[in-house]
Amino acid sequence: MRNALVIAAREFEEKRFVAYAAVAFAILPFIFAAIPGMKANPADTIAMGSLVFGTAFALGIGVIFGASFIGRDLSDGRMSFYFSRPVSALSIWFGKLTAAILMIAGTFGFIIVPARLAAGDHWTRLVSASTTYSVLYILVIAIAFFLIAHVISTFGRSRSPLLIFDFAAAVICGIAIRLLILPLVAGQAFILLKGLGIALGIAAIIAIVGGGAWQLERGRTDRRRNHLALSQFLWSTMAVALLLAAAYVAWVVSVKPSDLTGQIRASRSTSGSFAVVSGTTKGRSDYRGAFLINTDDGSTWRVDQWSEWAARYTRDGRSAVVPHRAGNAVEMLIYTRGKAEPIDSGLTIANGEYIVSDDGSRIATISQPNLLSIYDVAAKRSLASARLPDSRFVRAFFVTPDVVRAYLNVPGGMKIVEIDARSPALRETGFIASPKFLVFYLDPAAAHMLVRPSREDTLTLNDARTGAMIKTLTAGTQLKTATYLRDGRIAVLDGPDSATVLHILAADGTPQRAIALGAKGAIRIIGDDGTRVVLNDVDVASGRRVYEAVNIASGVIEHREPIHEWVSTSVFDTRPPIEPLREVLYIGDGGHVVAWNVATGGKRSITGG
Amino acid sequence: MSDNAIQISDLTVRYGRMIAVDHAALDVARGAVYALVGRNGAGKSSLVRCLLGQQKPQSGSAALFGEDVWSRRTSLMQRVGVVAEDADAPPEMSVAGIARFCSRLYDKWDQNSVETRLRTFGVPLTSRFGSLSKGQKKQVSLAMALAISPELRVLDDPTLGLDVVARKSLFEEVIGDLADRGTTVFITTHDLAGVETFADRVAMMENGRIVLDEEVDALKSRFRRIRFAAQPVAIDTAALRPTVVRSWGGGAEAIVSNYDDVSFERMRSASNIGAAEVEAMSLEEIFIAIAGGSRGDAETRRNS
Repeated sequence: MRNALVIAAREFEEKRFVAYAAVAFAILPFIFAAIPGMKANPADTIAMGSLVFGTAFALGIGVIFGASFIGRDLSDGRMSFYFSRPVSALSIWFGKLTAAILMIAGTFGFIIVPARLAAGDHWTRLVSASTTYSVLYILVIAIAFFLIAHVISTFGRSRSPLLIFDFAAAVICGIAIRLLILPLVAGQAFILLKGLGIALGIAAIIAIVGGGAWQLERGRTDRRRNHLALSQFLWSTMAVALLLAAAYVAWVVSVKPSDLTGQIRASRSTSGSFAVVSGTTKGRSDYRGAFLINTDDGSTWRVDQWSEWAARYTRDGRSAVVPHRAGNAVEMLIYTRGKAEPIDSGLTIANGEYIVSDDGSRIATISQPNLLSIYDVAAKRSLASARLPDSRFVRAFFVTPDVVRAYLNVPGGMKIVEIDARSPALRETGFIASPKFLVFYLDPAAAHMLVRPSREDTLTLNDARTGAMIKTLTAGTQLKTATYLRDGRIAVLDGPDSATVLHILAADGTPQRAIALGAKGAIRIIGDDGTRVVLNDVDVASGRRVYEAVNIASGVIEHREPIHEWVSTSVFDTRPPIEPLREVLYIGDGGHVVAWNVATGGKRSITGG
Repeated sequence: MSDNAIQISDLTVRYGRMIAVDHAALDVARGAVYALVGRNGAGKSSLVRCLLGQQKPQSGSAALFGEDVWSRRTSLMQRVGVVAEDADAPPEMSVAGIARFCSRLYDKWDQNSVETRLRTFGVPLTSRFGSLSKGQKKQVSLAMALAISPELRVLDDPTLGLDVVARKSLFEEVIGDLADRGTTVFITTHDLAGVETFADRVAMMENGRIVLDEEVDALKSRFRRIRFAAQPVAIDTAALRPTVVRSWGGGAEAIVSNYDDVSFERMRSASNIGAAEVEAMSLEEIFIAIAGGSRGDAETRRNS
């Protein structure tokens, strides 16, 4: 320890010119601020000047010191000056290291502190709301530069063929780190990522600092042996750290659906039994495990966390298309009921929206800027592409596996266009004039649609292809929502919250039945099984959100299930499903996902308890 | 407690495929002045680095005072004064700064002796080490090595780069003084004339191998140059073994490595030669003869 301090003192003495330079840099901002005619506020000039000079100085000194404090002594043959004296390699290393780090921090302080004191509030306003952190970050980066420069200097100055191994090891480390990061990014585990970054950073510091001591102990005055020893220590330590990190990450991502306990989110297909469930688990920080689950047979597949909103389901209920990030590209994987493994559609997308045909045989992508393409999954090739007119919002549907129809919100209304894969030219088929954003619901055949201007009470029946209005269904009845049922009939909810009414209309809009539901808040239609319409609302009496199964024929609420949170479907799926709704999912009070049987009112747990 | 200040056993140093030191072995008794000579690249500096615990040999060991120097270097260096081949002190440091630095590392330090010695050799204490001449740098290194009154001095080619006057001064003023004190001295050098007067024992390195390790007096007593006035018809090598035989003037010159008066007389009568003159040889001449001989041997080995 005493000898380390002696070495450190010697380093200070040798490099005292650096302190003189720092003092000069500390004065410079004050000189600039005093120059007559400077437009900026003098305090601002001092604050910014000192930060710029201090940062440049700290980073520059960090690199210079790192590249020279051991490496130069080795290459110039001056390390024997220390090793021919009764001083240990540890004392040499830690003496030099301590001096260098203190000089980097000290000279940075020389430049920053006077300006900080002189600039007062201007400093805080200009530099950062959290000055301490910004200054600390600069210092940490400067010291990181210093350590990295030392490694590069030791390796480079040895001129050893071992450099090839180092390069390979660095590349392997980089790849390993990337492989560790990817599953955590997919799981949106940003706190965990930060922790992993800090842990690997500490490991790298230990590897370099420990490696420095090791290189001098093993290599002493021999620069090649120094290189060899540093290389061995550095890469061994990093390998151990990466293996530990890999084991931890492997454990984190090995989460099972039953482990999901917190912040549960889920989405489901409108038809069939697919759902994506994600959530956090105990001991895994903010990592969100995400699974595609077939709620019928309980089979699960691990998917990226964002699949919760990015997955698309076929209307026939047989398949789910789930994007999977692979490097910079996003692959579209197709999961099919009864098949253990997904198939790769062969389609990759960089960004944008996509839709799936009813049977999953075709995928249409809408990439920026508004390029609509139809892709055939079996042939793994694009069938047609067309540029859509400029619009604020696009919603598109496969009318048939060949035809995609897009509804584009444009100024003054909604434009309707179609593209046919067999004759791939974009055709404008209709237009609905409206100054407002139009909400619409398609019938099962996509021949008709319900149209409602945003926040208006009016609901009209329109031709889905041309947009031509057929008739007005409701007006001025405090319309809440509407949708098509599977059999083509129309369900409309309207009336005040205190007396909500469910109307059942024929496909042509003829009223068939009105069911008084009583007081309901925040009501929405979930779907139907042919006999019952399932609603989600807030029970006014209890204040709880509930699912309710309303028998269309009898008008009776057959089953009611209190829930914590409903599980939604994709916002793009406005057409009714092909299969009847048998179960709906919800998130219970315990944070687990529950399937509720519409016909019986029975329930079963999908995840957790 | 070991009787030897230095013990090197079967030491081998390699740099890649090149062998710098090849199974070297030597012992230096306490109090001896030991000179290791050899041409550039013979492996002397590599051996010294191993001897000082600065370099780990591929095989073999080096011990100082009976302790392994690689593992016990830090404590052993309290007892060893070192003058390196190259001036290795940081060039930015002042001479006074170097002295101050060193004084804090050693248990014993004689600042007076440092200042006196440097004053004697006209080395200003305030000068930057990098601004000194080669001779001054050596004097600074020597002053630091002497200030601890070490039991062992290791001087790695201390006269390298010095002019004749400085060399003479260094040997006479410093090394002679050390020898008189009875401390152990291990010196590597090209300057055979310089060490001849005070070295007790000399070893010679050639291509990484120690080809000779002998008391100086014994070595000098067995090497002789014999000059024959006339060209001898044949030299009887049964008694004296000539290392080198060549023409010299009208006669011939032979260098023998096992000279003694009786054998010489026997050879002279057996070979039926006339007048012959026997001369003692300097260490430098012996070194050249041996180096030439071993080179010849090496060539003979290669050719065979």
